[in-house]
Amino acid sequence: MPVAASAIYFLNLRGDVLINRLYRDDVGGNMVDAFRTHIMQTKDLGTCPVRQIGGCSFFYMRISNVYIVIVVSSNANVACAFKFVVEAVALFKSYFGGAFDEDAIRNNFVLIYELLDEIMDFGYPQNLSPEILKLYITQEGVRSPFSSKPTDRPVPNATLQVTGAVGWRREGLHYKKNEVFLDIVESVNLLMSSKGSVLRCDVTGKILMKCFLSGMPDLKLGLNDKIGLEKESQLKSRPTKSGKTIELDDVTFHQCVNLTRFNSEKTVSFVPPDGEFELMKYRITEGVNLPFKVLPTIKELGRTRMEVNVKVKSVFGAKMFALGVVVKIPVPKQTAKTNFTVTSGRAKYNASIDCLVWKIRKFPGQTEPTLSAEVELISTMTEKKSWTRPPIQMEFQVPMFTASGLRVRFLKVWEKSGYNTVEWVRYITKAGSYEVRC
Amino acid sequence: MAPPPQSQRSPSPSQPSGKGEVSDLKSQLRQLAGSRAPGVDDSKRELFKKVISYMTIGIDVSPLFGEMVMCSAASDIVLKKMCYLYVGNYARVNPDLALLTINFLQRDCKDEDPMIRGLALRSLCSLRVANLVEYLVGPLGSGLKDSNSYVRMVAVVGVLKLYHISASTCVDADFPATLKHLMLNDPDAQVVANCLSTLQEIWTLEASTSEEVAREREILLSKPVVYYLLNRIKEFSEWAQCLVLELAAKYVPSDNNEIFDIMNLLEDRLQHANGAVVLATTKVFLQLTLSMADVHQQVYERIKAPLLTLVSSGSPEQSYAVLSHLHLLVMRAPYVFSTDYKHFYCQYNEPSYVKKLKLEMLTAVANESNTYEIDDLLGSITVTELCEYAANVDIPIARESIRAVGKIALQQYDVNAIVDRLLQFLEMEKDYVTAEALVLVKDLLRKYPQWSQDCIAVVGNISSKNVQEPKAKAALIWMLGEYSQDMHDAPYVLESLVENWDEEHSAEVRLHLLTAVMKCFFKRPPETQKALGAALAAGLADFHQDVHDRALFYYRLLQYNVSVAEHVVNPPKQAVSVFADTQSSEIKDRIFDEFNSLSVIYQKPSYMFTDKEHRGPFEFSDELGNLSISAESVDTVVPAQSVEANDKDLLLSTAEKDDGRDPASNGSAYSAPFYDGSSGPAATSQSHGELAVSNTSVSGQTPASSLAIDDLLGLSFPGEVTATPTPPPLKLNPKAILDPGTFQQKWRQLPISSSQECSLSPQGVASLAAPNTLLRHMQGHSIHCIASGGQSPNFKYFFFAQKAEEASTFLVECIINTASAKSQIKIKADDQSSTQAFSTLFQTALSKFGLP
Repeated sequence: MPVAASAIYFLNLRGDVLINRLYRDDVGGNMVDAFRTHIMQTKDLGTCPVRQIGGCSFFYMRISNVYIVIVVSSNANVACAFKFVVEAVALFKSYFGGAFDEDAIRNNFVLIYELLDEIMDFGYPQNLSPEILKLYITQEGVRSPFSSKPTDRPVPNATLQVTGAVGWRREGLHYKKNEVFLDIVESVNLLMSSKGSVLRCDVTGKILMKCFLSGMPDLKLGLNDKIGLEKESQLKSRPTKSGKTIELDDVTFHQCVNLTRFNSEKTVSFVPPDGEFELMKYRITEGVNLPFKVLPTIKELGRTRMEVNVKVKSVFGAKMFALGVVVKIPVPKQTAKTNFTVTSGRAKYNASIDCLVWKIRKFPGQTEPTLSAEVELISTMTEKKSWTRPPIQMEFQVPMFTASGLRVRFLKVWEKSGYNTVEWVRYITKAGSYEVRC
Repeated sequence: MAPPPQSQRSPSPSQPSGKGEVSDLKSQLRQLAGSRAPGVDDSKRELFKKVISYMTIGIDVSPLFGEMVMCSAASDIVLKKMCYLYVGNYARVNPDLALLTINFLQRDCKDEDPMIRGLALRSLCSLRVANLVEYLVGPLGSGLKDSNSYVRMVAVVGVLKLYHISASTCVDADFPATLKHLMLNDPDAQVVANCLSTLQEIWTLEASTSEEVAREREILLSKPVVYYLLNRIKEFSEWAQCLVLELAAKYVPSDNNEIFDIMNLLEDRLQHANGAVVLATTKVFLQLTLSMADVHQQVYERIKAPLLTLVSSGSPEQSYAVLSHLHLLVMRAPYVFSTDYKHFYCQYNEPSYVKKLKLEMLTAVANESNTYEIDDLLGSITVTELCEYAANVDIPIARESIRAVGKIALQQYDVNAIVDRLLQFLEMEKDYVTAEALVLVKDLLRKYPQWSQDCIAVVGNISSKNVQEPKAKAALIWMLGEYSQDMHDAPYVLESLVENWDEEHSAEVRLHLLTAVMKCFFKRPPETQKALGAALAAGLADFHQDVHDRALFYYRLLQYNVSVAEHVVNPPKQAVSVFADTQSSEIKDRIFDEFNSLSVIYQKPSYMFTDKEHRGPFEFSDELGNLSISAESVDTVVPAQSVEANDKDLLLSTAEKDDGRDPASNGSAYSAPFYDGSSGPAATSQSHGELAVSNTSVSGQTPASSLAIDDLLGLSFPGEVTATPTPPPLKLNPKAILDPGTFQQKWRQLPISSSQECSLSPQGVASLAAPNTLLRHMQGHSIHCIASGGQSPNFKYFFFAQKAEEASTFLVECIINTASAKSQIKIKADDQSSTQAFSTLFQTALSKFGLP
């Protein structure tokens, strides 16, 4: 049995039920009490998202200020259940227009009940595609499209879409201006040892797409990835163009992408859903261009003084710049006083997280600002334990830069009416978990 | 539709808070019911919304049933939906009223709008009222034949709902056969998917009763069906794909070509964005190739990348689900992942459940064979990395990583460097680091006695006063006993520990202390004699069963023959070459068979957590397991602790095998509580006679006990009522809280301090029939129920209460026999002296039960 969820609960942080839906009778009505007493009110909250209490298993997730709990009584498929929750939340968001939190749930509870009825029946997931659901569950709660004029509407056709094969796009869309927006968003994960060697480094990227296209367009996306290029040159029997090629470790696609064609021809071709969606995800571990290098020196001078010097070097092109750069430099708990000078941006000591927080709003490429600080510590008699140094953490966004070097080579749109399209491509690299031990 | 007469409505216990509003709503609804004014639908909608919102926050709005049904005759679909929701929620409690709705639901099932047909059918099937099933068969039958796929999709699941209400009606109407036909012929993928899940569920439940059905179920796994579904896989939604893939994983292909065909067909599923689909595909690949070792290896290589991607994307919960599976695969084939070890490095901000799995994987990868140089290198890299975590602020993770270093140390030959690391840990002077390192050093010495000189030198510097954790203390004491000849002050350290016997709360430590003193005695008799005498005396007076027995056993052994005793306690030991695996390969294989399910997360096969009889190995957990928390829930709720205990027990029982030669000193290496039988079988059975004599420390028992457990615990004093000082009047805390885990732990640890019988009033017995009355009654007396259950005539309750001023708890097991109107009460208490007072209080409360 893949899921067969017995119940789903939406709780606020205090444990009050915002909405619940019991799909099956095999769990008691007070499961939520069990969840509250055994998980929410104990230290175990957050230690593991899957817990067994009695014969029931609880899968829970916190999204903003809401806990979503799925209760199952059988040996369920956990991955499926969590994915379901994530998809359901995405669906709700698309209905509420953005936020998903306690207030949104309270304001839309009728709608959520309606949706919960449609997306899962007797514990089995049904259709979760927002595009199709919006056909018959509308925010206004208007009549279903079939009921207004049942006789002249081709009803079977409309519902075929509800459950049919091209589940992600409905027919008859029309836009005056046909536009496609592509966002390549990468997050760089780095773990660097205190000696400056890279312990672990990878990039997880996703291509987000916003489509405003009429009709049933066929799209084809070309990237500068190695396999795709090789295949292309093979097919066209001409040598690969020089230039950087990227080796993708692994790719996953939105369900609209024709995977068979990807496997045989290595091209990404698809009929896109309308609006915003995540076209693909990829992961790269080789040849990552790190946007920043962090060079820390931290000296403990006796028991009450520390000297911290951190140099951050931007290693991307001089014409580019990073935004929202934050460097968090950990200091001991018993920090009393800090003095620092920075060559760029602002720094302050944040006692609640025991860090010096150094913010640089705009950080141009090929520069290396430094922070030097003197930290005075409260001397304590009992404190003989040495300070364990947490890593320095960094946050940043670098527009028009990809750590992987990935580039979109082309995006082709075919539609039988032959309209012209405008394509927009943006790149951005963000910090995932960017850690440097010191 | 005629409005229902008011008088029919059953009075329901609505919450007082909502009462006024509910009657308000009622009159407003009644006003609107007949109105045809423009805009009336909107105002109805608002009212319905209010009703639903009350329902959501738990106010009983069932008195509005009639009005709601009346108002919903409208054509507005949103109104209908809200009404369906309302009806579905209250129909079960008001079966009579549910009958009212049948009429309009049946009419809606014939509506020209397929949406309404579908919705009505879904609601009709969701009423879940047994005596209404006759009304379901007709609409379901036509729903399955409906021209619209939405209606069919709903009808198929409706069949499953019907089956759960009344299996016989469902089977008699021949719905399974219809579904089977539909599954193989319907053009709509979601209908097919729902047929599949429905049939799987029905046939699985039916299979045990009929052979014919069992054969039918086999057909689902036959080549034509599986091929048919696989060929259509791209039409299915991502969830339905999981379903089909799950089925395909059970399919047994006839030859290798078939296997490759299926794998080629499904290869692209590994690129799917939905992690569940990828995992399901992985399962198919792994299962299909089980018989082909080399292909199976290639499968590992193939699925590695997609799984690693899934781990690094999505929410922590999602990656945890995938990581658990990856963990399983890494444990099965660590060498495949040896180049990917960097993926298992922990990030500073990751949740600890993710870190824990990563640590284990890192350890497994590093531990893989020493045949290649790279592995040694990897080993040392890993150890360096693990040592980073040991200094982590996240204490559980720091502990885990020290344990992980230990695991590597126990498997690698180059121990030299690791021993240095461990000794560094000991010098870090953090309590938990020292504690874990001590346990580790002890294990290391059991495998590599040759390192004893180095280790003992460092261990000797650790003061036993700085070690608080039982496991670590036990490890230290073990070393003191085992190497007493090399540790200069061992006898004196032991002696001071014995002097503080009463302050030592852990039975495990006391057990080890006994054994260590014995060992020391044979190595350095004159210095230890005094400590031995004191330890034996304290052990004999100990209220813990195992400690007492072991002390008695040693005492008799010494009495019988000192040289035999020496041989038993200090036999020539062999170094342990391999520590037992924590899980048998059979269990591992079963978990592997259940890939992509909870089994992998819990790391135990499904029968251990779905079958009631397997949930806990201990009698007590079983008892709790068959009862229910707070007596309200239908299902069973076992404290999570018993599950862990189960795990530990498994661990212990396998570990035991290895250490048969030295039963007294093991155990502390594993996180197992010490309730095995290793204290020597000879002592337990014959010691009753002397028990009472040695047991003067416990006071306040009552003589009525006739239960075997009391004898075993040696706590009943037949014919002797101790004169306890009159305790001050007992006050209980009305808001006492105790979680089941603690309850269970305490129940296990504490001796029974009172056991009696008392009788119940006949009225009390009568009102027991309603489930929660007793609990509410007792709660009025500040006695809380933690679990209850049972079947007529015997009901069992576990209660607890806390003193008002201090955190001293009373635990009660109360068995009520309704036939004889008698109850048996067993009381355990933190504070023995007030048991008597509590017992009186409890009995008074109980005897008042049912009386006005």
